[in-house]
Amino acid sequence: MDLPRYFLADLAHPAALTPAMITDACLTLKANRRRYLADRATADLIDALASVAEDWLAPANPYRRLALEEGPRALGFSAPTLAAGLDDFFSALTGENLRALVAQDLADLQRLDQLTPNPAGPRADRLALAHGPELLVHVTAGRLPNPALMSLVLGVLTRSAQFMKCASGTSLLPRLFAHSLREVEAKLAACVEIAEWPGGTEPLEDALWAQADCVLAMGGDATLAALRRRLPSGVRFLGYGHRLSFGYVAQEMLANHTLPRVAAAAARDVAAWNQLGCLSPHAFYVEAGGRNPPERFAEVLAAELDRLEATHPRGPLPLADAAAIATRRSFYAVRAAHSPDTRLWCSAGSTAWTVVFEYFPRLHPTCAHRFIHVKAVAGLDEALAGVDAFRGQVSTVGLAATGTREQALALELARWGVSRICPLGRMQCPPPAWRHDGRPALGDLVRWTDWELAARG
Amino acid sequence: MHPDLLDQLTDRVRAFIEGAAPFREAPYDDAAFNALALELFAAQFAAAPAYRALATHLGASPETVRDWRDLPAVPTAAFKELVFTTLPVAARCREFRTSGTTTGLPGRVFHSAATLELYAASGRAWFGPHLLPEGARAGGACLRLFSLTPYPDAAPHSSLACMAGMVADRFRAEPVRFWSRVREDGAWVLDAAGLTAALQAAAGEGRPVCLLGTAYSLVHLLEHLAAAGLRLRLPTGSRLMETGGYKGRSRELSRPALHQALSDRLGLPDTHLVGEYGMCELASQAYDRICGQARPRIYRFPPWARARVLSPETGREVGEGEAGLLAVTDLANVHAVLAVLTEDLAVRRDDGFELLGRTARAEARGCSLLAA
Repeated sequence: MDLPRYFLADLAHPAALTPAMITDACLTLKANRRRYLADRATADLIDALASVAEDWLAPANPYRRLALEEGPRALGFSAPTLAAGLDDFFSALTGENLRALVAQDLADLQRLDQLTPNPAGPRADRLALAHGPELLVHVTAGRLPNPALMSLVLGVLTRSAQFMKCASGTSLLPRLFAHSLREVEAKLAACVEIAEWPGGTEPLEDALWAQADCVLAMGGDATLAALRRRLPSGVRFLGYGHRLSFGYVAQEMLANHTLPRVAAAAARDVAAWNQLGCLSPHAFYVEAGGRNPPERFAEVLAAELDRLEATHPRGPLPLADAAAIATRRSFYAVRAAHSPDTRLWCSAGSTAWTVVFEYFPRLHPTCAHRFIHVKAVAGLDEALAGVDAFRGQVSTVGLAATGTREQALALELARWGVSRICPLGRMQCPPPAWRHDGRPALGDLVRWTDWELAARG
Repeated sequence: MHPDLLDQLTDRVRAFIEGAAPFREAPYDDAAFNALALELFAAQFAAAPAYRALATHLGASPETVRDWRDLPAVPTAAFKELVFTTLPVAARCREFRTSGTTTGLPGRVFHSAATLELYAASGRAWFGPHLLPEGARAGGACLRLFSLTPYPDAAPHSSLACMAGMVADRFRAEPVRFWSRVREDGAWVLDAAGLTAALQAAAGEGRPVCLLGTAYSLVHLLEHLAAAGLRLRLPTGSRLMETGGYKGRSRELSRPALHQALSDRLGLPDTHLVGEYGMCELASQAYDRICGQARPRIYRFPPWARARVLSPETGREVGEGEAGLLAVTDLANVHAVLAVLTEDLAVRRDDGFELLGRTARAEARGCSLLAA
């Protein structure tokens, strides 16, 4: 299937982009927004988005098929790994979940449609309307599509014209998503533009910033700081910097009958999107003192990763990434040779997966691509001391615990500053209502009009 | 290692070095290399507990290994955590350290008086034919050496400064100036103004010079020349040995850009810019050209050190033209371990290798928070 040339990223030669083309595209988006989007009802928009998501779950859907055909080459994920990630994302994008998102962030499903009273207030003496930015610009980073796709969904809900600038080589899935939106509702897709160019191409970007009302950017701290400095005053900036995540396994989960299930869930978190996202674990902290030792968890995790490699292969790696894995493996082999406290499990004849077990709580960010540390700890205090250098940068903790223990651990993690706690095995599957890095993702996009009613009586 | 055995092996490696033809005309004597490598491995297995532990862990021992290619290689990162040496504490008179980069702890390599001599012999035996193929008297006049490193005594843990000193001792015609000083934090500071004046004087006298320096020292020199608006024309026959690595100490230039700038600011033709590849974990160095020749640049180690390019996926040697991690088996490493796995990416070329851009190296290290 050949896609029609509809978005800038569909052009064969992105080098042909000019600042005037960017300006023209932005003006067209804004005009289309006024004509087709500004007056739409939230409930309709949610229906359209849920319909797009449902389409993507159908195996015969042409956009999904194209994603699975071209994705492995363009993005480096194997087709089964990509399919699993897309299924997780789109199966959560339901009408119910989107309504829950609006209700959570804006307190009323019609907040974006009309002046509505505060449901929590004692009296309806104040009404409010939320507005999205007229032109919302997205700057995406990395090959993992979920953050970009979710950002587009949020922009549709806020009735914004949207221009998404993708990092080089990463526009495939945003582009396919936009084409699938166009199939469901061409008018909505007319308010979306997808383009791709190397970050820092200033003439194009300056043209884009000049038209933007709000810029939502993802990337490293230095990239975000540099981008922010270049924005004209008055343009809102929402930056999502790099985060990292880890897992925590309580000792009661190491019983013979629970351990295989917990290790399989942990393996799914490592394999999902090849461990490349901010929500992917860099280590699993495993409590000592349970029915099985933490080392046994590492061993079962290795076996699960090996099993997943057969069904959801990681896919080939660029040389430098493979070399980073090989270099680390050889280093840990030296440690393992000198101490029974370090053990190493590796895929045979490839860099497909690696498990390093250590009694050493300090967190080392891994080189990803299914390279995971398992660290034995006496308890949560020791684990948190080990990640202290990354305090404030931790996104998600995948937690395996039960009952009151689970509640106590969750509260301690929350107070320490973790922004999301979820069951092990779900680390890469946040619901749409997820507060991204601890902030309401939809709520942060809007501005409000408050209307205070005259006192009556 | 029993001291006598160490001395004996040191002598035998030295004899191997002296007996090796400076350039390959017939295939290297692989059988002789293999025999000496296996003997050395047995001695290092016995004398270096850290190496014995690694080899045993990997299932390799003097009884099982029959081919030098199967010797367990020690990753350079491991030198930061463990001491790999055959030398008893009392014999260790010199300690080389890696520059530490971002990982905090440096890697450490020990030498004795005898192994330092072997280090010098290995270094000189391959430096000479590459930097001074005509002999020390080039162009009819004595070549003057200018080292951009500090004096070896001022940087006792630098293998590069040590090597520059050893080369100077062997090839100098007069006392050699070392043009960097060591700041309190360990960084090398180039006296660019003094060096520039000395180079101008040499140019005035028409005597060819030989410069030795790291890429970042050369960038500092080039920046000084650019700021002063100077373009030197070093006398015909002048040459330069450049060793890679910026380590964040200067602006980074690609090699072609560095070579272009050196030609532009110093008047050195590309044929007289010789790349060196070395590290403190190795007693031998590779060069990417013979001064004055215009053949494509390929790094080659001497016959007593063999480089292999290994696939990171399989650990096996890659085919011609393919890329992987560079591993080196160096007989002159009597004092430590003979097989070292580097973190450098290289392409296998003919009987040598081509280094991939320094960014590849930086990436591999950037992800590396090992031993922090």
